[in-house]
Amino acid sequence: MPPLLVPLGDCGLLIRFAESLSDAANAAAIGFGRRAIAAGLPGVMEVVPNLVSVLLRYDPRQVGFDRLAGEVRLLLSAPAEPAAAGANHLVPVRFDGDDLDEVAQQLGMDPATFVATHNAGPLRVLATGFAPGFVYCGLHADPMRVARRAAVRPRVPGGTVLFAAGQTAITSTPIPTGWHVIGHTAFCNFDASARPPTQLAAGDTVRFETLE
Amino acid sequence: MTKLRILSAGPMTSLQDAGRPGWLAHGISASGPMDRGAFERAGLWIGGAGPTGIEFTQGLTFEADGPLAFAVDGGAYRLTLNGAKRSWPSRALLRAGDRVEIVPGAHGNYGYVRFGADIEIEAVLGSRATNSVAGLGGRALAPGDILCLGPALARRTAPHPRATAPIEGATRVIWGLHAERFSLEARQQFVGSAFVVGSRMDRMGVRLIDRSGVFRDAAALSLVSDAIVPGDIQILGDGTPIVLMRDHQPTGGYPRIATVINADLDRFAQLRPGAEVRFLPVTVTHAQELMT
Repeated sequence: MPPLLVPLGDCGLLIRFAESLSDAANAAAIGFGRRAIAAGLPGVMEVVPNLVSVLLRYDPRQVGFDRLAGEVRLLLSAPAEPAAAGANHLVPVRFDGDDLDEVAQQLGMDPATFVATHNAGPLRVLATGFAPGFVYCGLHADPMRVARRAAVRPRVPGGTVLFAAGQTAITSTPIPTGWHVIGHTAFCNFDASARPPTQLAAGDTVRFETLE
Repeated sequence: MTKLRILSAGPMTSLQDAGRPGWLAHGISASGPMDRGAFERAGLWIGGAGPTGIEFTQGLTFEADGPLAFAVDGGAYRLTLNGAKRSWPSRALLRAGDRVEIVPGAHGNYGYVRFGADIEIEAVLGSRATNSVAGLGGRALAPGDILCLGPALARRTAPHPRATAPIEGATRVIWGLHAERFSLEARQQFVGSAFVVGSRMDRMGVRLIDRSGVFRDAAALSLVSDAIVPGDIQILGDGTPIVLMRDHQPTGGYPRIATVINADLDRFAQLRPGAEVRFLPVTVTHAQELMT
């Protein structure tokens, strides 16, 4: 399916590569986000890659929706250069989350097998969003998929490792969440005094290791 | 150095500046004033205001220990200076010991005080705006707080800038990211029905009461999380519409039927609980013409 170009309010243009999350759609979004930054599109103030889309925040006094959409289509039709490899990160995790046993059980595994399967392969940083430094990592292979919890926890601290929908997420600030808490990490992906304020970028590779 | 002492402050009183745009890719929304126009007008009227001001809700009382120019705007509050009634909006030069008292008036949820000096507070990611959801930057204000102000800024004579937006009329929207996920009937009813501003409102979002049950039967959709912009109207799983405001989460997974246009978002932010709101779809081009 060709990417969909839709307005998001009167200062946003969203380029959507799919309606549901897949590795291909996510890679397309990350790749286009990088190209849009490099291209320096007219009137664009901010390029924001999401799970399956890229948001361009633009100044309508400098460029209208139709002209910007035209520029985006040109960029989309240009041959894509091979994506540059992202940085590699190692994130040590204490797998002591309250939902670990339940998640493992749902997948028909014992907790140790779940952790081993979880840590087996490298994951990609799919996107940053929802809260400062909050990253979605994935996608886990097919069996490693559970739905979100029915109930939302009103607050989990920064450094909480979450699991749902074929993804592992890391919190950097306290947030409410409906995801399963599987562990905790001392790794903090948000420092307001640093530039950039986050270390993990969409397209980077993350490997999780068990901290005993 | 002039100090400002907060004697009383309503809930959600915070420091705001023009906002913190540019960090969405790091999970941070821009924040900034709920009524940007009022914030800007107060600053312009001083003729040389510091970039940071106070956003208040249900009243604010403060006193300064030295000379300080200030201006207030936003909504319709009642203002007294040392107990003497003043008009709204207003500007004046405070002397040491002068006391300013602001209490809610005929309409509006948010008012602004700007000063002819900088409020001295550290910038976070280039801004002093308080992000109440991320707990980032600026600060929330409470009685007893003391703000330090820098030297008086150079001022020029400035006329009061007029608010341009109409006060009455429907809140204009652009159809949203997931509009087509809603039935034609729901979309038609969304435009034809009156909603009521609910009492659960903050800098993150304003809940609406769906009196006519437009979204009563809206199926809970499982959507991939996607970018949010201020003004997005999302429909929760139980059918509650929420208009997302300045401290919105940068991404979200609830379906969004429409987005309030920039020209109407300030006015929407000032609607009090119980106010009726109707939505009128417009084109992106029309919305952009209204911005200039």
